[in-house]
Amino acid sequence: MATESSEGEEEGKITGWSQHLIVDDDLREMGKKAAWSVSSCKPGNGVFSLRDDNLDSFWQSDGAQPHLVNIQFQKKVKLQLVVLYVDFKLDESYTPSKISIHAGDGFHNLKEIKTVELLKPTGWVYLSLSGNDPRETFVNTFMLQIAVLSNHLNGRDTHVRQIKVYGPRPNPIPHQPFQFTSREFITYSSVR
Amino acid sequence: MNLLNEAETALCPANEPNAEVPNNAAGHYLLGLIHSYTDRRKSAIHNFKQALAIDPLLWAAYEELCVLGAAEEATAFFGDSAALCIQKQNINHASASQNMHISNEDCSLLSTRNFGSEDLSPRQLKRTQGDNLKGIPGAATLGAVYQPTNGGLPNLPLYNTPSTMATQFSGVVPPPLCRNAQLNAPNTSMLITDNSPKSIVNSNIQAPRRKFVDEGKLRKISGRLFSDSGARRSTRIAAEAGANSNANATLVAANGISNSSKYLGGSKLSSMALRSVTIRKGQSWSNENWDEGIHNETFDDSHANVTITNYTSSPFGDARSLETEGASMPVSGAIMSASRVLSGASEILGLLRILGDGYRLSCLYRCQDALDIYMKLPHKHYNTGWVLSQVGKAYFELVDYLESASFFSLARQASPYSLEGSDIYSTVLYHLKEDMKLSYLAQELISTDRLAPQSWCAMGNCYSLQKDHETALKSFQRAVQLNSRFAYAHTLCGHEYVALEDFENGIKSYLSALRIDARHYNSWYGLGMLYLRQEKFEFSELHFRMAFQISPHSSVIMSYLGTALHALKKNEEALEMMERAILADKKNPLPLYQKANILVSLESFDEALEVLEELKEYAPRESSVYALMGKIYKRRNMHDKAMLHFGLALDLKPSATDVATIKTAIEKLHVPDEIEDTL
Repeated sequence: MATESSEGEEEGKITGWSQHLIVDDDLREMGKKAAWSVSSCKPGNGVFSLRDDNLDSFWQSDGAQPHLVNIQFQKKVKLQLVVLYVDFKLDESYTPSKISIHAGDGFHNLKEIKTVELLKPTGWVYLSLSGNDPRETFVNTFMLQIAVLSNHLNGRDTHVRQIKVYGPRPNPIPHQPFQFTSREFITYSSVR
Repeated sequence: MNLLNEAETALCPANEPNAEVPNNAAGHYLLGLIHSYTDRRKSAIHNFKQALAIDPLLWAAYEELCVLGAAEEATAFFGDSAALCIQKQNINHASASQNMHISNEDCSLLSTRNFGSEDLSPRQLKRTQGDNLKGIPGAATLGAVYQPTNGGLPNLPLYNTPSTMATQFSGVVPPPLCRNAQLNAPNTSMLITDNSPKSIVNSNIQAPRRKFVDEGKLRKISGRLFSDSGARRSTRIAAEAGANSNANATLVAANGISNSSKYLGGSKLSSMALRSVTIRKGQSWSNENWDEGIHNETFDDSHANVTITNYTSSPFGDARSLETEGASMPVSGAIMSASRVLSGASEILGLLRILGDGYRLSCLYRCQDALDIYMKLPHKHYNTGWVLSQVGKAYFELVDYLESASFFSLARQASPYSLEGSDIYSTVLYHLKEDMKLSYLAQELISTDRLAPQSWCAMGNCYSLQKDHETALKSFQRAVQLNSRFAYAHTLCGHEYVALEDFENGIKSYLSALRIDARHYNSWYGLGMLYLRQEKFEFSELHFRMAFQISPHSSVIMSYLGTALHALKKNEEALEMMERAILADKKNPLPLYQKANILVSLESFDEALEVLEELKEYAPRESSVYALMGKIYKRRNMHDKAMLHFGLALDLKPSATDVATIKTAIEKLHVPDEIEDTL
């Protein structure tokens, strides 16, 4: 289902989507520890609908573009993946078509790290935050901002049904340089 | 009901410290429990010892002593003097006995020992409403006593529990009830005329139990006897979940005639069963009829003299598992002569000695010794649920999860409805990552008893294995709700909070676990890990040391203590601790790895490499070993070797974070080469 064409290096990348949310086991959802806010919303369709695990409720913006979703953490966290659920069949002109992701310490120094274009998506859209360098597998940041720059059919406002943010699982054994992989090690590594 | 104050004053009127504690041994036992729950360790120990001195067959008291970590050699309690003591008691009570006091006692003991016993007592108390015995003067006081039923039976020898041994898998003593009923009829008058306060007390205590028993029947008879049988029966019944009474009947019949020593096996099983039963609310009354039927067949009046047998059986049962219901000895009907009493008593005591020692050693976490002792048990006793699960626990402490799992599964085959030890079994399966078996176990336990904390612990472990920590936490919280004195549930809650990185609540949970049982080394360990994560290394070291003191043979704890010491820069001590850990358990690779870590930080790379080579032999598929070796080679500028090892590490599929780290390290490796090329 993925249709990827990398015309420009950073811009114009069209990403695919999938019907079911499938995420690696060594990632965990980090959104619970963050403060979520949006640039504008219609009463009854606020930021809560983005986090309620209900694909029927959605956030509807109510202002000028770009529409922003701000995710602020209390400490720097490593993030690897952002997943959004959008549905063209239900939302049509409210479906985002161009999304960009910024990261930084706060509103004053956000820097764009990714931009994608979507084409009539219906399902979960995976946006990986890793760069090409192995050193850039994670984005280590205080704040993430997801900006909806434009919608399908030139719609003004946007509907997003769910957003999830993923980062790596911490080492279950603290103070270790590397995590254990083999069963012998893991069996002895903790007392329960 | 947690009315500990009232309970204490009832048992021990404030101004008469050495006044006769009602019901002697049982009273002391209850007092001991109260003291241990309110953190008065010394007085608790004193009371338990008293209880044992008065009644050497009160296994539950010995068990509590073990848990408190203050038990002496089992021979001290279960020696020859004890046998004489029993004999004396037996003679005293021979005339009055008639009914199954012993069974009562067992019942009460059982209930006391059960985790659920607290739950049970209130239920029992509620049930007493229907009881005839309400009228009895002492009842009210007893009612108020915490776990009144438990206290009741100091005068063990009095009751003959005709129950047959083999009551089913659980070995519950089914018939006692029936028998009691039978016996009660003729003996009622006797009993009632025996106005000793003890009997009344006993009856009261039994009364609550009665609920389990056919109430109608109880009403007919003075009823006290039934309570124990009832309890037992109920346990049995519960265990069976309404199993065939016929089966029981035959068992009972068969067993009824046999002598006490045979019960022991049964009681062991029954104890297990009892446990679950007591938690359940007297399931089917239908079995009662069954019991009665059987009772008729097998029972005859030898109650009176069966005290000895009863006695032996009961303690045995107790010994087995808290719940030993005291397989009522089938009333042999013969009047035991004094010598028979003595021999019977010594036999029982011999068994109790072995079990006691085994249990004591496993509480002291000297698991290998405990295992050796359990091996001395005769085959029949070894293969009962309680002993098998104790063996399983011992292997668990030795971190030999495979053996432990096999023993636990044997234990479950032996007594499938017993819940004791199944929480540890679920942890073993968690460690072995056997999610199928674990979820099967959890489902089985929940269907056996939804209200037992162990079932919810198993469920929680299942979810935790799937990394669904929130649901796991909910399950553990339910377990806590069901029995707030179940220390392990609190510890598991703590583990889940830490996994969810909620450190405050984690600390709270661990501390509640420790408040209940200060010797619960898992909580000390959990706190140590928590502080290690939070980088509060002094606290971490302190807690690991406490855990180490409680369980000095555990190599895992030793290796973590070493890690904490290393974090505090006490590298010498850390290395020493690691050596000890390595010696303690050859199969544990972790101390070796940690040792290598410490050596790297001390910059003795060669030694570190040696250790890691050794580790490589042991665990060839462990990526962190190669990663660390790569790191060492990089530090020593042996780039090709470093590359090789990093490559191997990557091949072994480490976690994403490690992949990133390793790849970064590889990139950095190239830089010096490039510079060389350009030159």
